Amino acid sequence: MYALPYLLLQRLRQAAINARRRDRSWRYLAWSVLAGALNGVMLALATAFVASLLVWRLWWLAIPMIAVLVVPVVADTLVRFVFVPAGFYRLAYHAARYSRPGADPSAYALCAAAWASTTGTAIAWVEARRETRRPLGDGEIAATALLAAARGDVVTARELLRSLTMIVEDHPAVRELAGEWLACDAAERGAWAELVGDAVRLRWPATPLTYLLEGIAARRAEAPGAPGAIELWARWALAPRRRVTRALVGAALAPRPAPRDGAALTGLDDPATPAPPPAAPLHRAVAAQLAFEEQPPTAADLAFTVRAWDAALGDAATQDWLARRALELDAPAGAVERALHDVAGAVTDELARRADAAQLGAPPGVVGPVGTGLTRRLRHGRLDALEAGFSRWAERRNDDQPHPPIDEWREFIALWAAYHAAVTAGGLELRRLAFPHAFSKGSNMAAWLWNKREEYALSHAISRWLLAEALVVGDAEAIELGHRNCALAVPTRLGHIQS
Amino acid sequence: MSGAGSRGASGGAPGTPTGVATRLADNPFFVLGITVDASRIEVEREAQKLLGMLELGFAEAQTYATPLGPRERTAELVRAAVAALRDPYRRLVAELWARHAPPARAAAAPAEPSPSLSRHGGLRRALGWRP
Repeated sequence: MYALPYLLLQRLRQAAINARRRDRSWRYLAWSVLAGALNGVMLALATAFVASLLVWRLWWLAIPMIAVLVVPVVADTLVRFVFVPAGFYRLAYHAARYSRPGADPSAYALCAAAWASTTGTAIAWVEARRETRRPLGDGEIAATALLAAARGDVVTARELLRSLTMIVEDHPAVRELAGEWLACDAAERGAWAELVGDAVRLRWPATPLTYLLEGIAARRAEAPGAPGAIELWARWALAPRRRVTRALVGAALAPRPAPRDGAALTGLDDPATPAPPPAAPLHRAVAAQLAFEEQPPTAADLAFTVRAWDAALGDAATQDWLARRALELDAPAGAVERALHDVAGAVTDELARRADAAQLGAPPGVVGPVGTGLTRRLRHGRLDALEAGFSRWAERRNDDQPHPPIDEWREFIALWAAYHAAVTAGGLELRRLAFPHAFSKGSNMAAWLWNKREEYALSHAISRWLLAEALVVGDAEAIELGHRNCALAVPTRLGHIQS
Repeated sequence: MSGAGSRGASGGAPGTPTGVATRLADNPFFVLGITVDASRIEVEREAQKLLGMLELGFAEAQTYATPLGPRERTAELVRAAVAALRDPYRRLVAELWARHAPPARAAAAPAEPSPSLSRHGGLRRALGWRP
């Protein structure tokens, strides 16, 4: 009498959740309401059945029925609102496993345990569980990210969670957690555009909280298609932590400041802003340099400073003054050229150091002594660093002790981030120079990870990245090899995946 | 670049910052508190005066004004500055920097924390995530 409707409701509820994961429109709200209502009915049915068993004095049957029918319905709520805040990592693990998150529930359970981890013991327990799971997949990477977050290492957590988009194995429940952490992280940093970008590209299936934060971000970034007040409040009503998010919704719906105020905030993007133009070009260059060294570096400030120096050092008045003073001081022959060269070198050194630290590229179209030197320095330095990094990475194949799969992945992610920072700053020209070495080492590593380590998802992610890069730089041989490698079916816990 | 600019006067311990701002702060003209038009005799006289004052512990000789705010003056810095200004090439470079530097400024007030950085501080935790 109870079992059949319960099972039917369960199927319907799962279908509603699956449909919600694919949607970012008003239907998301409808599917959420439907899933919630079905959850409520399932809980009522299960509770009534268990109560009936107790009334009939069948308590020995009631206990397993509680475990089978009631606990799965409330397990997810218990994980989020009881076990995680309390740090009960083992309970979180088992409850998450029991919450029917789909195929391979251990992946989601591992993430829930990592989410609940606050102590060294808990972290060690989750890591030990993770090491028993081979090959590496999205659940293990997400769990490692959440452990990094538990240690306070936000940057690592962010990098690892973002890297999930490269992994072909896809546990929707794991991706939901990853998306929610990243959404909360972006909201904390005020990185509204980043959050809008994730929402537009449907990078993560959205939990109600993610969906709300995406709506807030769209309003804050004034993105096209941002939700209206009614829709935003509806999202708020569906999401947890309403007391916290009420203020965020209120701020998102408040009228935006006038454009003039906004322009003042982003004034550093305006090349004219860093310093008022003094009389002489050299005055302007020194002032720009000091302003650049005192503020967090931006591409606009770098371009302004480089152009100011190139103008100053090429200025006829500056050279005339130097020549006159060199004569008056009885300076040795060639003192003017040497002085200009020394000043340009000192300035270039400092600008290159700061640009490199901030991952800024050389400004386009600069041709003076500082601009040319900076362009050459940044390109060579970054290429050398990248080549050394990829070579070190490839050498790991010869290490006596095999590294844990997660370490292999973290090594790749660090290189991948460095490569993209360098090519973003250096443009297509640097990308074409950097790719052959990356391709050579990356292909070897991908083959080794697939054949020797049986880390299929990792190997596939590397091959897919190499293929994407090969397509950008137009390397025909790499494209052919990439297509062959990426066409292989990837064995995962969710079956063989053909991408 | 070999470091033959104005910083050459004072050198600097290995590992100290080598930004252009630091080169400017260590400029011999600022260290000695003289104008860029000062003659060689004026340079020598000012250096001797400052060395004497530093030896006697005069408070007004302990610091000097720079475009980046006041800096500590030491006898070593003064000797390095006067040595730099005796060399025509190093004086030329020192003049180039000092002549085009912004005006000297007083000590900066302690910076207030940026409101934008703490605007949503702790939000991730409040929403149920760590850290």
